[in-house]
Formats: sequence, C-alpha cells, structure tokens
Amino acid sequence: MKYMLMMNTMRTGRGVPEWPKKDLQAHIAFMIALNQELHERGELVSAEGLSFPDQARLVRAGKDGTPMTDGVFPESKEFLAGFWIIDVESPERAYVIGARISAAPGPGGSPLNIPIEVRPVMSGPPPEMLQ
Amino acid sequence: MKYILLMSATKAGVDGYDAWSKKDVAAHMTVLRGITNQLTESGEFVATQGLAQPGEAKVVRGEKNGLPITDGIFPESKEFLLGYWIVDVANLERAYAIAGRISSAPGPGGVPTNMPIEVRQFATSVQPDGQ
Repeated sequence: MKYMLMMNTMRTGRGVPEWPKKDLQAHIAFMIALNQELHERGELVSAEGLSFPDQARLVRAGKDGTPMTDGVFPESKEFLAGFWIIDVESPERAYVIGARISAAPGPGGSPLNIPIEVRPVMSGPPPEMLQ
Repeated sequence: MKYILLMSATKAGVDGYDAWSKKDVAAHMTVLRGITNQLTESGEFVATQGLAQPGEAKVVRGEKNGLPITDGIFPESKEFLLGYWIVDVANLERAYAIAGRISSAPGPGGVPTNMPIEVRQFATSVQPDGQ
C-alpha cells in the first residue's frame, strides 16, 4: 500500500533557515539516513523537499484559459515543506515512519515532534469514472 | 526546473466533489488524463498522484519513546491535498500555464472548476543521494 507522508509548516514561526548551521546539518543528516534506510528496505518511492513559501503561487485559469497567479496566502495557511511516498505493508508501518520523521532533530538536537500527515495514495480513478 | 502543482480543498469542498454526477466526474478525469498524456509527450511529465479521502487521513507525531501517536481530527479550515502533478519544465511561466489548464478542468455541468492550484519549486539543493 502506498502512503504519502506530508510535513507541513506555517509561514510564521521558527524559520528553518534561521537555525544554527550545526543543527540544520544534523537535521539533514537524519533525513538522508532515514531515506537511505527506507530505500534499502524497498519502501521508499520518492521524497522531495519544496522551496520556501515566498516562492509559492496560486494559479487559477482565467476565462480564456490564461493562468492568473496570486502569491497572497492567509496567515493560517499550512505550506507543504516536503513529502515522502512510501510503499509499505500496513498503515501501522506508515505511522511508524511518520513518527520517525516527526522526531527528526531540531534546534539544539531536540526532537521536533512536528505533525506528519499520513494519507493513502489512490492507485487511480475507479473504472466507472473513466470514459 | 521541477515544480509541484498541488490541488487542495477543505473537507466541505471534498464533500461537494462527492456529490458530482458520474458523468461530470468522468469528464473531469478525461481532461486531467489528457493533460497528463500531453505532458508525457512533451517530456515534461514526472509524476502525478491522487490521494484518498480526508476521512482516511491521520496526523502522526513521535512520542518520547519513538512510538507513533495518531490523530484523525482536523480543523474545518484545514486544506487537504487532493492530488498533485510534478512537472519538469523550461521555466516558471510554463508551470503556471499547466496549472491554469488543470484549474480549467470541467466541473459540474462541464463548467470549469477554476480551482486554485498551488505551484511550488523543488528545493533541489537538499536532495539526498540523487533521490
């Protein structure tokens, strides 16, 4: 079963770029080691980090189909910071991996314990929905 | 440059989608599949996934002993990721144009949904071992 693990952040709050370099390096080393372990177990499908919210845009189609962009987001908006797609035996295994990511080290090496959203990935639309 | 195009909605929006007629859902899916096919032909397609319903979403945090704590209760205002497209395109404008096309996919009665699509660049500098 495929699951997507999402790490969300708010625009405000403790900004990762302001962490001491040593703490950032420890955090990234943790993520690299975890991804390597998941890869060796055959559970990692993909993992990506996204650029910071200031580069995010919302796009809507205008009447003639041209894209209209907007970069103004409500303060309460959660931004996707990064995600993992894993292929695991059970939801419990997905939750265990989610907890490991949640406990990645933050400033001073303390576990961040940030919430990780875990969602099943659909294999495709049901056949009756296809023309 | 790689971009991720994120389609999100609140639970109320997802409930609205569940009320679409089969014909409208099929027409919507046909347009989205057409976009994927064209992106594949132009060499810009990387990946796309749809995610399962918010009812199956869990938030996971790591406990002190490393065990996962799961919670499935979300605020009404929370936006759930419905699906995403990863594209590899020449420039940002092309990513916006593709997002505009996704935004104009037909909804109920064939009227374009004009759903906002969030466009984010990948943070390629922190990619572990070429994953």
